[in-house]
Amino acid sequence: MKPKMEPEHSKDSPALELHNLSLRFDGHSALQDLTFTVDSGLHVAVVGPNGAGKSTLFNILAGLLVPTKGNVFIHGHPPAQHMCLAYVPQSSQVDWTFPVSVEEVVMMGRVGLIGLFRLPARKDWEFVGKCLGRVQLKAFAHRQISELSGGQKQRMFIARALAQEADLVLLDEPLAGLDIPSQEQILNILDDLKQHGITVLFATHDLDLAAVFDRILLLNRRLIAYGKKDEVLTANNLSQAYGGTMQVVETTDGRIMLGDSGGHHGHEPEGRHG
Amino acid sequence: MVNWLLDPLAFEFMQRGLLISVIVGIVCALVGCYIVLRGMAFLGDALAHAILPGLAVGYLASEGDRGALFWWALGTAVVTSIGIGAISRAVRIKQDTAIGIVFAGMFALGIALISTVRNYAVDLTHFLFGNVLGVSQSDLWLTLGVGVSVLVIIFVFYKEFLVLSFDPTLVTVLRLPAPALEILLSILMAVAIVVSLQTVGVALVVALLVTPAAAASLITKNLRSMMFFASLIAAGSGVLGLYASFYLNIASGAAIVLTCTLVFLLIWIWKQFVRKPPARAETS
Repeated sequence: MKPKMEPEHSKDSPALELHNLSLRFDGHSALQDLTFTVDSGLHVAVVGPNGAGKSTLFNILAGLLVPTKGNVFIHGHPPAQHMCLAYVPQSSQVDWTFPVSVEEVVMMGRVGLIGLFRLPARKDWEFVGKCLGRVQLKAFAHRQISELSGGQKQRMFIARALAQEADLVLLDEPLAGLDIPSQEQILNILDDLKQHGITVLFATHDLDLAAVFDRILLLNRRLIAYGKKDEVLTANNLSQAYGGTMQVVETTDGRIMLGDSGGHHGHEPEGRHG
Repeated sequence: MVNWLLDPLAFEFMQRGLLISVIVGIVCALVGCYIVLRGMAFLGDALAHAILPGLAVGYLASEGDRGALFWWALGTAVVTSIGIGAISRAVRIKQDTAIGIVFAGMFALGIALISTVRNYAVDLTHFLFGNVLGVSQSDLWLTLGVGVSVLVIIFVFYKEFLVLSFDPTLVTVLRLPAPALEILLSILMAVAIVVSLQTVGVALVVALLVTPAAAASLITKNLRSMMFFASLIAAGSGVLGLYASFYLNIASGAAIVLTCTLVFLLIWIWKQFVRKPPARAETS
């Protein structure tokens, strides 16, 4: 099934490894000296203020930007050889009037696997159908994409990542602008991915939500902290990441962070898991 | 009525003109779907104008041989489309600015070259506005061959071009050969422009690329049927336009383009006032 170009994934190498990764734009440092390792199957929340470099980091991992310095290894190999990484873009970057149906978009995930000079076979369409089933969009397979709601659109792109048979999925702010039921549906799909051993990097503003992930990566151009929530969500780390825009206030109910200029705020009552 | 339709067909130049209009219409409509979906109309127009110096040099070098002109024009179009991308990357300016610089510069160079010889004025008009009734048998064969090649390439690379048009980032993520696909699509665009030189000319090509595809996008929400309807509209407009040109004695290129525009307007009006908007999707 896998094309020849995909190198063997050795079981002991982590899903993702970054060594001293830096990116400079017009003399400004967008990302500085990132070093971290994500073990296979972990779900990692990538948090940081606006402009912290979350999307930039994802763009480098996806191969859309080339780092100025440092290395990325996906399952122990440089990213150029991989198709096992899927990127779910922010909804705002997509032309929703484009004349394609939901299943055609999901089939796009398989274009690399099918290979040049070949048409999608019957088994490819069946696989796409299965992927749509896993995100509860089977009934919408033949709809034009603009007919979907916000949550359905995100689920379609997750189905595309599944169709790609990716084992490392990057989700950029997938819950932005969604209502609570739609958010929960997507979080349920993440549980399904977890059971299938798929590694997930999930960019978000929401510190509350980040606390439910296996690991949190706190980013503000450089890596502030990476680890479990108790190690990462400390007053010291958060004030480093959010600087003057974030107030950490001790109250009788625990510790409250009052969030940055974008109006986001998260709070983490320490008593709940102190 | 039958005579009205058959009379023009008594002329061989009309038969060839009609055939070439249909072939060119289909080629332009198919390539035009990608141009409309990717928002590249300005690039298409610029490319069409930028081939003028190629035509001029070709004319000087080959002394008016139509077949040679075709290859000169195609070469110039391919070099220009690749050059625009290279310039916008190298100088770090926005692509539409790079297009503007190259487009006007090349067009001016073309006019300058042609203006050096006075009796080229007639040929300049043909380059600018087409001369569908001056099509030779060999032009027809060449256009047919090129048209079939474009059709085959679009069929073979359909899924890759779809990804490239809908989500260029996915092309990179899937490790598809992004630059090669971009260049191939640019070449198709160059080919479409060059084959339409004879029917509508440099100045009006963009209408043949954009208008049928845009009209088709109003009536369907599926790329395959958009391509089908765009081809139908373009081929139909070619035929209708030539008949209009024959009977009303107006320039053939203008007649074809005006027919396309009219079809677009009719479809748009039909969408606005007659057809109800489609029902919204229910949420799951």
